[in-house]
Amino acid sequence: MSEATISTTAMGSAKSSESKTAQVSHKAKHIRSWGDWLALILLIAGALVMLFPIIILAMNAFKTIGDYNATGPLSLPAHPTMSGIVSFWKMSDFPVKLGNSLLISLIVAVLGVVLSVLNSFALGIGKVKGNRWIILAIMLANMMPQEALLFPLYTMFKHIGLYNTQWAIVVIFTIIQSAYGTYLLSSVYGTFPQAILEAATIDGASRWTVLRKVVLPISWSTISVLFVFFFVWTWNEYMIPMAFLMDDNVQTVPLALATLQGQHTMDATTLAAASLLSIIPTIIFFIIFQRKLNQGIVAGAVK
Amino acid sequence: MKIRKIAAAALAAVLSLTALSACGSNNAQDDAHPQSISFWYYDLPTAAQTEAWKRAADQFTQQTGVKVKFEVKSFTQIAQNSSQFLDSNQAPDIMESNRGNGSAGMLSSMELLSDLKPYVKKYGWDKKITKADASIAKYDDMGIMSGTKWVGLPNYAEYQRVYYNKTMFDKYGIKIPTTMAEFEQACQEFKSHGITPIAADAQEYGVMWLWWSLVGTKADKRFIDDWQMYRHDVNWNAEPLTYATNTINDWVKKGYISRSATGLKAEDTTNSFIKGNEYPIYQTGTWNQSRFIAQIKNFDWTAAALPGTKMLQGCTGNLLTIPTKSHHKDLAAKLLNNVLSVENQDGIGNAGGIPLAADMSKINNVKNREMIREYSQYSQKGDLSYYPDYPASNLTDDISAQFQELVNGTETPKQVLDALHKSYDTGVVDMGFKD
Repeated sequence: MSEATISTTAMGSAKSSESKTAQVSHKAKHIRSWGDWLALILLIAGALVMLFPIIILAMNAFKTIGDYNATGPLSLPAHPTMSGIVSFWKMSDFPVKLGNSLLISLIVAVLGVVLSVLNSFALGIGKVKGNRWIILAIMLANMMPQEALLFPLYTMFKHIGLYNTQWAIVVIFTIIQSAYGTYLLSSVYGTFPQAILEAATIDGASRWTVLRKVVLPISWSTISVLFVFFFVWTWNEYMIPMAFLMDDNVQTVPLALATLQGQHTMDATTLAAASLLSIIPTIIFFIIFQRKLNQGIVAGAVK
Repeated sequence: MKIRKIAAAALAAVLSLTALSACGSNNAQDDAHPQSISFWYYDLPTAAQTEAWKRAADQFTQQTGVKVKFEVKSFTQIAQNSSQFLDSNQAPDIMESNRGNGSAGMLSSMELLSDLKPYVKKYGWDKKITKADASIAKYDDMGIMSGTKWVGLPNYAEYQRVYYNKTMFDKYGIKIPTTMAEFEQACQEFKSHGITPIAADAQEYGVMWLWWSLVGTKADKRFIDDWQMYRHDVNWNAEPLTYATNTINDWVKKGYISRSATGLKAEDTTNSFIKGNEYPIYQTGTWNQSRFIAQIKNFDWTAAALPGTKMLQGCTGNLLTIPTKSHHKDLAAKLLNNVLSVENQDGIGNAGGIPLAADMSKINNVKNREMIREYSQYSQKGDLSYYPDYPASNLTDDISAQFQELVNGTETPKQVLDALHKSYDTGVVDMGFKD
C-alpha cells in the first residue's frame, strides 16, 4: 500500500516540477498543447486511483465500530473518533515499534547504499575481471525467494546469538538491498564516461578521490533514489522480521499491525487506524528526503 | 587509508555487538523466584478467554509476587515460526497454541512442548476437563490427538452455530427451523421474497464450515475418527461427504448461498449479519457471540447448532502450553491452574465465551447460558466433529479453495470430492502419519 503512496507522491512532485517548467515556458511561448492537458488529466486520474486505498483507510480509521457496522467501509464517519488510533498506540506500545522500524530501516538504507556504491565502483568503474559473474552471484540474494533463505538464516543467526535482535534484520536486509543496489549502480557506472575518469587521474587524483569528487556527485540522483527505496522496502518487510523478531521490544511496525488480525476475528476500524498510523512515517520520510536529495542532485549538476 | 580504518572500526563494532548479544542470550538459568514469567498469546484483547487469562494472572501475582509479562503476537507468527523460537533460548513460559495434529500435535512430536501430566495429577485438571474436551489436549508420540501426553491445557471451547435474525423471520412470518426440512423450507421462502437467506463467505472458511456442519448431520463417531485420527481409510463415497457436498451445490444453485460469496471474507458476512437487513441466517463460530451481544442493536436474534446435527463442529479452544525450554514450568502451571478456577471459568461464560468448568448458575446472560448448555450436550457424549482441516496442514487452504470452485460453478461436487480426496491423502502422507 505504501508503495502506491510513493508513486502518487512521486507523481505529485513530478507534476509540480512539470507545472513549474510549464509556467516558465508559458511566459516564453504562451503555448500549452492539448497533449499537455490530456497528460495532466490522466495524471490526476491516476493520482486519485492511487490515493483511493488511503482515502478508504483514513475514512475508516476515525469510525466507531457501530458506525462501521451500520454503513460499511465506503462512507464518511458519522461520529469521528480517535479511539482506534489511541487503543492501537497503547496496545502495541507504538513508540517502541516505531523506534525499531526507524532504526532498522535507516541503518539498512545507509549501509545498503554505502555497500552498493563501493561494490559498483569496483565492478562498474574498476571493471574487475569477471564482474558480470560477480554481479550475478550477488543478485542471488535477491533472486532467491525469501522462504528459501529463512531456515539457513535462522540457523546461522541463532548460532552467532543474533536471533531475536534487530541486528539480524539489519544484516540480512543490508545484504539483500545492496545486492539490488550493486546491480543497478554498477550498470550505471559501467557507462560512466571514461574521459572524465582519465582526466581526473591525469590531474593526480587517487581512486578514493575519484570516487568522492567525481563519481559520487554525478551519480547522486541514482543513489538518492536507492536510499529512499531501501528505507521504504525495509520498513515494509514482513516475512523475515516475523521469523526473526519475537520479543515485543524488538518488533517492527508491520508486525504490530499483524497482531490486530486474530485467528478468526478482526477489528476493522482499529486495523484501519493502525495502518494509517504506520504509513505516516514513511510518507514523512519520503517528503523530507525527496526534497533534500533533490537539492543534492542540483548541487552535483552545477559542479 | 582512511577507508581501511573505517572498515576496521565498523568490523570491530559489529564483532563486539555480536559478542555482547551472545553473552546476553546465555544467562537464562532455572529460577524459582524470577521477576516475571512471560505469556504469549494471539487472541484479541476483548476475547472472553483473554480477559480470564489476565484475571488469573493478577491473582497469580498476588499469590506469588511474580509478575506476568503478556505479549500479543500475530496468529501467523505463532503458527508459522513457533518451531523456531521454541527451539531457542527465547521461548516464553506459557504460549497459546492452535490445537490439532498440524499445530500443537506437531510441536509436541518435536518435543518442543512439555508433557503436563505431572501437573494434571497435582492439580486434578483431568477431573475438570473430561472426554472430548480432554482428547484435543492429548497427543501421542506422532502428534495425533487422543493420545496420552497432555500437551496443553484446554480452558474454553468454541463451535459453529447458526445465528437467525428473528426480526426478519417474523417479518415474513417464517418459523425458526428445528429440522433440516424446515431449514430448507425457510430458505426457499426467503428466496421467494427475493432475499438470499444464508450469509457465507467462500474466500475464507464460511462455506467450508457449513459443509462440515452438513457432514455432521449424517456422520457417526466412526466416520469422524477415521477422518481425524486416521483409524481407517476415509470412505469417500460415504453418505456424509456426498450428501454435504451435493447439498452445498444445491443451495448455491437454488440461490440460498450467493455465487458472489467467492468475493466475501468472514468479516464481510459478519458485518452484513450485524447490519440486520441483508441475511437472515448466518453460521459462524461462537467467537462472534460476544460481538453480536455487544453490537447488534436493531433486531432480535437466536441461535442453535445446524438442525439435525449429530456430530457438532467445534471443540475446546486453543491450548495453553508450557514450552520445553521454559525455565519456570512450576510457576507457569500454577498460573494455568488459576485459569481453570471456577471463578475465572464463570468469567469466560459471562464474557460470551464457553467455559469448561463453570458454575452454570453464575452465568447471567440467557443467550450465553443456552450456548454453553448446547455445547456440553454434545461434548459430554463425545459427539464433536472438530474441524475438517485438522488431519493435515495443507487442508485449510485446499478445502476452502475447492469450495470456491464449487460456489463459482466451475467444478461439480464429484470433482470437488475427488480433489479433496487427493489433497487429504497427500497431506496425511506429508505429515508423516501414513506411508
